[in-house]
Amino acid sequence: MIKTSTQNELIQYVYNELADDACEQLELALTQDFELAESCSDLLMIHQLLDGAAKAPHQRAIDNILSYSKSFSLQS
Amino acid sequence: MNTNTQLSDSALISLYIAGKESAFEQLVNRHKNKVYTTIYLIVKDSYTAEDLLQDAFIKAIHTMKSGRYNEEGKFSSWICRIAHNLAIDHFRKEKRSPMITLEDGSNVFNNMSFSEDSAESLQIKEDTHARLRELIQTLPQTQREVLMMRHYAEMSFQEIADATGVSINTALGRMRYALINLRKKMLNNNIAYDKNLYSE
Repeated sequence: MIKTSTQNELIQYVYNELADDACEQLELALTQDFELAESCSDLLMIHQLLDGAAKAPHQRAIDNILSYSKSFSLQS
Repeated sequence: MNTNTQLSDSALISLYIAGKESAFEQLVNRHKNKVYTTIYLIVKDSYTAEDLLQDAFIKAIHTMKSGRYNEEGKFSSWICRIAHNLAIDHFRKEKRSPMITLEDGSNVFNNMSFSEDSAESLQIKEDTHARLRELIQTLPQTQREVLMMRHYAEMSFQEIADATGVSINTALGRMRYALINLRKKMLNNNIAYDKNLYSE
């Protein structure tokens, strides 16, 4: 059973928010605790999937924004 | 070659305020997908999301050009917060709640590079990402909120805790449950979950 505090550290680790010293301790623990390593692997995989799930708008929407900015700058 | 390529958001904003439009173009292109995704995950409609994306950046233009931009926070967090609020306001004006609907995926694309992928793996990825976006909609509101703020708006867990009035441990816990629940839902829905498909 992984402690809640460790699970929270895993989340911080996946999102690069864990302090350096805590990061070293966690990485050491990952080499010794299979359950922890498996949890970390699952979280990293979902994290990567979420990156891919981001969507892009059509270029016309971006062109509209840039056109607005140019016209706004000319007015001001 | 554009000399602004490696500039920070803060530097690009300064250049833009000074009148360099190309700096703004870089800023928009750097953050458009995260802002758009933040909106889309709330309104679940591509056209509405694009309208609100434009509204969000227009608000940002007005704020930056009028000298009211506060440089203390990250630009990405700020613009995604504007986008999030606009999306929520949209539903308040429409007097309805966000609906969970299936997407057909016919007029959208995501931001991954598929140049080296086969047509089959490309299709699997597209299907998986579409299903994942649907599953995000089914998360409890508090979990979905933290996930969107951290993953797409790039707010730190401390910033999320401050913004939502909870402790950082609560924010971390909600994120943890969000990711665990997403994984369970993917497995339960037999969604492709092969790490070899998603490695960069």
